[in-house]
Order: sequence, then structure tokens, then C-alpha cells
Amino acid sequence: MSSRSQTTERGAITVLRVVCGLLAIAFSFPAAYLVWRNFTSDADPLGLLADRRTLEPLWRTLRLAVTVSLSAAILGTAAAWLTTRTDLTGRSIYRVLLPIPLVFPTFIGAAAFIRTMNPGGLVFRLFESVGIELGIELRGFFGSWLVLTLFTYPYVYLPVAARLRRLPAALEESARVLGDTMSQAFRRIVLPQIATSIAAGTLLVFLYTISDFGAVQLMRYDTLTRAIETNYLARPPVAFALSLVLLVLAAIVVVGENAVTRRLPADSGSRSTRTTEHGLGRFSFVGQLIVGLTVLFGVVAPVAALIDWARGSGRPLTVDNATIVEASLNTLSVSVVTAVVAVLAVAPIAFLVARRNDRFGRYAHAAVIATFALPGILIALALRFWTLRAGAIGNAFADTHAVLIFAYVVRFASLAMGVTLVAVRSVPDRLHDAASMLGADRTRRLRTIDLPLMGPGLLAAAGLVLLSTMKELPISLLIAPLGFQTLTTRIFGSFQEAFVAEAGIMALVLVAMSSVLTWFLVLRRADHL
Amino acid sequence: MHTKIYALALAVALLGAACSSSTTPSTLEGAAADIYGGDCAAATGDEVTIYSGRKESLIGPVLEAFGCETGIDVAVRWAGSTDLALLLSEEGENTPADIFLSRSPGPVGFLEAQGLLQQVDADVLDLVGDEYQSGAGNWVGFSGRKRVMVYNTEAVAAGELPDSVFDLTDERWRGKVAIPASNGSFLDWFTVFRDQAGTDVAVQWLEDMVANDARYYADNRSIVEAAARGEIEVGLVNHYYNYQYLADLGDDHKALNYDFPGEDIGSALIITAATVTAASENVESANALLEYLLSEPVQQYLTESTFEYPLAAGVEPASVLPALGGLEVGTVDFDALGGDFEETTLLVEATGIQNQ
Repeated sequence: MSSRSQTTERGAITVLRVVCGLLAIAFSFPAAYLVWRNFTSDADPLGLLADRRTLEPLWRTLRLAVTVSLSAAILGTAAAWLTTRTDLTGRSIYRVLLPIPLVFPTFIGAAAFIRTMNPGGLVFRLFESVGIELGIELRGFFGSWLVLTLFTYPYVYLPVAARLRRLPAALEESARVLGDTMSQAFRRIVLPQIATSIAAGTLLVFLYTISDFGAVQLMRYDTLTRAIETNYLARPPVAFALSLVLLVLAAIVVVGENAVTRRLPADSGSRSTRTTEHGLGRFSFVGQLIVGLTVLFGVVAPVAALIDWARGSGRPLTVDNATIVEASLNTLSVSVVTAVVAVLAVAPIAFLVARRNDRFGRYAHAAVIATFALPGILIALALRFWTLRAGAIGNAFADTHAVLIFAYVVRFASLAMGVTLVAVRSVPDRLHDAASMLGADRTRRLRTIDLPLMGPGLLAAAGLVLLSTMKELPISLLIAPLGFQTLTTRIFGSFQEAFVAEAGIMALVLVAMSSVLTWFLVLRRADHL
Repeated sequence: MHTKIYALALAVALLGAACSSSTTPSTLEGAAADIYGGDCAAATGDEVTIYSGRKESLIGPVLEAFGCETGIDVAVRWAGSTDLALLLSEEGENTPADIFLSRSPGPVGFLEAQGLLQQVDADVLDLVGDEYQSGAGNWVGFSGRKRVMVYNTEAVAAGELPDSVFDLTDERWRGKVAIPASNGSFLDWFTVFRDQAGTDVAVQWLEDMVANDARYYADNRSIVEAAARGEIEVGLVNHYYNYQYLADLGDDHKALNYDFPGEDIGSALIITAATVTAASENVESANALLEYLLSEPVQQYLTESTFEYPLAAGVEPASVLPALGGLEVGTVDFDALGGDFEETTLLVEATGIQNQ
């Protein structure tokens, strides 16, 4: 390479570092707010850590987060492998259905699940009608574990499926030819290549679980978020201190994951348009059981309750079609924009981390990911806190869609990070070298090499952000411009006051919309690229 | 190629939605028309911004009717009362909100303690009895919700229903009672309980309930559902969720409300409150709206359509509601609700009910 191109390369890295620095600052504002609140109120996070009333919920939070992470990792990976690398019957339908649990707002998703599965529920009555008395009641640790596993496995499933679709078949086939069984080939060839995707997804599951309030509350499992929620009005300093404990916990886990991932084998840049399909043979029953039960419990069970609610009783509804259409379009437009902005925001960070293993990149990366552990309401309050203190700039942006989308991006960009990292890594350096030797400039290389290769990964990244934004509640309630209602805020408004017919109808619209979007934006494109 | 067409269709649809929403009707439709049936007044240029912890499905028509009848432009942020109180506290003197509507007095007291509320006009305060307003005149109640016991009609015979909430510590109810111990309206009720019976008695009762394996649930709504399914037999809730469920699900919903007889604390009335923020620059419009909430047509609507108790003098509760006056609501010091909120939260937490 000539010294001139080396100079421009270095210049470009500097620019990237500055961009990453700015992004890290932008993503750190909720953390900065929390620290500020802890200093300005008489909060005592260290003192609380010695208190039994903090330690017990903290222990429960950890226990839940670890078990949910493990089960979601296994379930997500299994479902991804079964639907992308095998001849499982119905896999193309499963691919549309499997991401759906991501779109249930937990406050109604968990309630719907309970309505179907618990004593007196739909399934219960079904069994009762054939004379079987079900004695299970979903609650506490088990109930929380089950619901959170079912609602979070897509954080693993989507990135792993995207990765599996790009893995070349050749090595796996050679291993099979040389006598490996299907599971040996999976362990020795496939697993090392998808390990980073699994780790990144599992980290998200962990962070989501420690920040979740809706599911654990409905399942009556007393975690740290319940303690935070109870103290908001009664003892705000305690709520802020406990939130800081949550954030520090998240930071420790993120740094830990970072250390582990760096020891994992680097993703090879190899790719192929041809992938292999294992014949499941006599194991196809097991495959159907795993994926089928996941869909049954994660999608069909909650949807059944939603339909049951939505039937109503002929009482005149308090929402009309125009309202639902408007809310749907609002949801759609802000979610799509958020997804695009989130991917654009994490791309430079992912590039610095994946290509250069740059320290600035890693800091920004940690800031983005750890933020995912903060409950949405804290991000909303933090954003309001800072815009009110930003003078004229704050006034210009307060109550605009721009602020809303910024808040969504801060909340959910972490979801796009892991997948984008894997996507950036999947572009082999040698292709770039070859292209620049042949005289292709940066833009051309981006268009002809990077984007086509990273395509499925970036779409999966955008899909994760999109589906999560569609169901977001606290930020949508507190930060959206006055009068701007999304489907989720309308569902919340109806459901909280027991207008279950309206809530059921709008939740079904949300589910339908997200399945269509998953189909058009993620699956269809990804398969064709 | 296809994607572009979809994107184009989306853009057209969005544009259409944007245009169609800018026309204002000259008369109201739907529930709002029940409150005000006349022609809408011309816009006065005045505006009022509301943070509403009461949900749109209930209060939306009232605000719509107010805007139409007065020509005052109404902007609303709908969210949970606790979340809005936190937001108002964060915004302080910079808040765009003129009015805060809370579903219970706790969040209002939280703001009152920080000096973020201002005096409500005396004319407005006069519309309700002294027992339904803050002693400092910073907020006014505009509707009431009764605490009741919801019960599963198949598991509990009418003859078994207890005379008092104190009887729920009986062996008959071991493991059968649900309590929404972290819910705002339960905490407010517990403050009333402390105020009426004394803190020792109230705490002893809750500890006895814990000892009797009372079960903790997240909120009123999930208790009503659990009672209807038979997951629990009885639960302590706000009265009106069950009416809504019965309206939606009819006979499939196997739960009914039970009103403890006499002056039992289990049937106390919890009020929803309206306040004007200290930062409000639209004080006149804000007070006009508070007055509107307490006007006869609105109070009538609240009780007929949303099953709440009217607080303005001269309006009777809907006939489906159990009669008021069991508990001498006049003796309840609602001010204590706000101020004692922290203490109540700590006391309830200390009983361990939330681990049940």
C-alpha cells in the first residue's frame, strides 16, 4: 500500500474514533443522569447493598437472569439451527412465527399467557372438558422463567439464524462425509462459528431480564425492579440507588462478556450462497416438538387469550378504525426510522471494534450495550432532565419526533450491536485488499462488497430493533409529542382500565403487523440476497 | 422493486392520515356527544395541557367535550399516575403541563410536598365537600372508587361472605385472598385504614393476612381476572374493574363484587384527584377545566359510563353501584394520603406481603 493511502486510512480511523466518542456520550446520558441523581439526593447505593431488603431481590434477579439466559440461548440456537439448516417440515412458516414473541408488550403478553395457561384459563378448561385436572399455576420463579424465556429467545434466535444462513456448507459436509454424526458436525464445525452470535444474543437476554418489570410483576416474583418501582414515589433516592446497582451489574456483565468473546474463535470471513440441509430423519419428531412447542407456548397461547379478549360482547367499542389505523401508522413510521437510525449508529462502533479492535470502539460498545439494562422509564426521565437543561437546543427539540426516536435508539441500539459486529466481521479483509488493488474506491467497496455481505446481518439487526420499538411503552408514554399515540400506548390505555376488548383487538393488530414486517423486511430479503 | 412500492404506499397513507386529522368536527360524536351535544365553539386561542393518569378510554370523551364546548385547545399526555408524577417532578418549573389528573391521591401528595402545585380556585373547591379536597386547597377530588371484595361465584356461596375485611384473617380464607400490595390504590386505601383504625391495627391486620397465606398480585385488574378464573376465591380491589369485565365478557366472567356492609373499612372510598401545576401559565383555562370535571353532565357521565362515584353535590351514583355512605367518608382525612405515602409503603413492605 502507498503511504498516501495509509495516511487517508489513519485519517478515516480518527474520524471514526471521534464519531464513536460522540456516540458513547450520547448513549451515556441515562447513566450520567443516574449518577447525578445519586450524588444530589441522599442516596446511598453502597449502604443499600448491605441491606437484606436489597440483597434478597438482587439475588432473585441474578438467579432469574442466569437461568433465563441459559434456556433462551439453548432454545434460540436450537430453533435457529432447525429452521435454517435442516429439512424440518413447515420451517418457512416457523421462520415467520418464531420472532413474534418479541413484539408482545410484556404487560399484556404475560397477562395473556397467564389467562391461557393458569387455573381456569383456556387450556385448563380444554383439559377439564376431557376430564383432566391441571394442577399447575404459573407464578413466582418458574412462571417468570418460562414467560421470559419464551419472550426473549428471539434475541438469540434472530442473530443466530442470520449467521447460520451465511455459513458455508462445505466444511460441514466434509465432516459428515468423513464420518461425523449430525451432532458432532454441529459441535465441531457449526458451533464455533456461531458462538459469538449466541454470546451476543444471550447477553441481551440477560440484560433484558434484569430490567424487566412487567413479567416478574405479573408472575409475582419479587426482583430488584419491583423494589425500584415501589420506591419511585415513596423514597426516590432509594429508587435511584437501586437503579445504579442495576447499571453497575450490567456493566460488569458486559465487560465479562467482552472478555469471554474475545477468546472465542474469530468468525471466519468465509461465506457461501449454498447452504446445506441436514435430513433430520427419525429426529424430525424431536425437531417438530422443540419448535412446535415454542410456537405453541410463545405465540399461540398468548394470541388465543388476545382473541378471547377481543371478541368482546357487543358493547360499543371506545376506539374506531381511524384511531387504530392512525396508531398503527404512527407505530410503523417511528419504528422503521428507529431501526434504520439504530443500525447506522452502531455501524461505526462495530467497524472499529471488529476491524481494528480499537479501544475507543470497545468503550462505545460497552456504553451502548449496558444501557439496555436500564428500565425505559429511566431513559425517559433522563432525557427530559437533560433537554430541560440544554437551553435553546433542548427547547428546539423538546416534544419532537426527533427526541422520541433518539430515546428509542438509546434504549434499543444495543439489540443491533451484536449482529452488526458479526456482520462486519463476516467481510473478509482479503476481499477489500483485492478490490482496492483493482482500484475500487471506498464507496464502491461499500456498495459491492460490504453491503451485500453484511446484508442479512444488518437486516436482522434492524428487525430486532424494529420489533422491540413497536412494543415500547414507557418512553412512548412520556417522551412522545403530545397527542402522538402508538399502538402500544393505546393498548396500555385500554388494558389498564380493563377495556379488554379494545386492548385485545389492538394487540392482535400489533402482532399481525409485526409478522408482516418480519416477513417483508427480514426473511424475504435475507433469503434473496 | 416491490419494497419501493410498499414504501410509496406507506408514504401516501401517512400523508393521508396527516391531512385527514387536521379537520375539526363542528359537533361531537360517540361518548363525548353524551356529555355535550351542541355545536362546537370557535377556537378561543387559549390552550391547556394535561398530564392524565386517568386513561383515555374513560376521560378522553370528557376532555373532548370540554374542548368543543369552550373552544379551548386541549393537549394531553396519557400515562400512569406514578410515571407522570415522576415526570412532573423532573420537569419542575419548566413543565408544559397545566393540569395533572391522578387516579389516586398518593402521586398528588408527592408533588404537593415538593411545592409543585398551586391553589385551585375557591369556586371550584366549593363544588365538592371539604372531605374531597386538600386542606391547603392544592387539589380537588372529582370522582370516587370504592374498595370492594371481588369473589368467584362458584367457589364462594353468598352466605359465606364475611361481614368485615377483618374476618379475612379467618381460617376459612387461608390462601384464598388476593391483595394488590404494591398497587397505588391499595396503598392509598391502607393509608385511610391507618388513619381510621390506627397504624398498629392496620399493620397487625396485614401481618395476620400474611400469616393466613394471603396472596400478592400485581394489580386490581389481574386479581379480578384470577378471581373470575377461580385461581383465587376473593380479592381486595377497586370496585369498577369488575363492571368493565362483566360488560365485556358477560356470563363467561364468573366474578362479582361484594361490598362489606356497614362502616367497614374494607369498603372505603378512594378519590381521583385533579390539580393545577405551580408552573401553569394558563391558570384560568385550567380552573375552567377542573370546574367542567365537576359539572353535572360530566359527573353524570362518569358515574353512568365509567361506573365511578360522583363527588359534586347533587349528582347521584348510577343505580348499578352499591350505595355510598357506609363508611363516613366525611371523616377521612385525604390529606394524610399524600403525606403518609412513604410511611405506608415502608410498613406494607415490612410485612413481607410482596413475597407471598
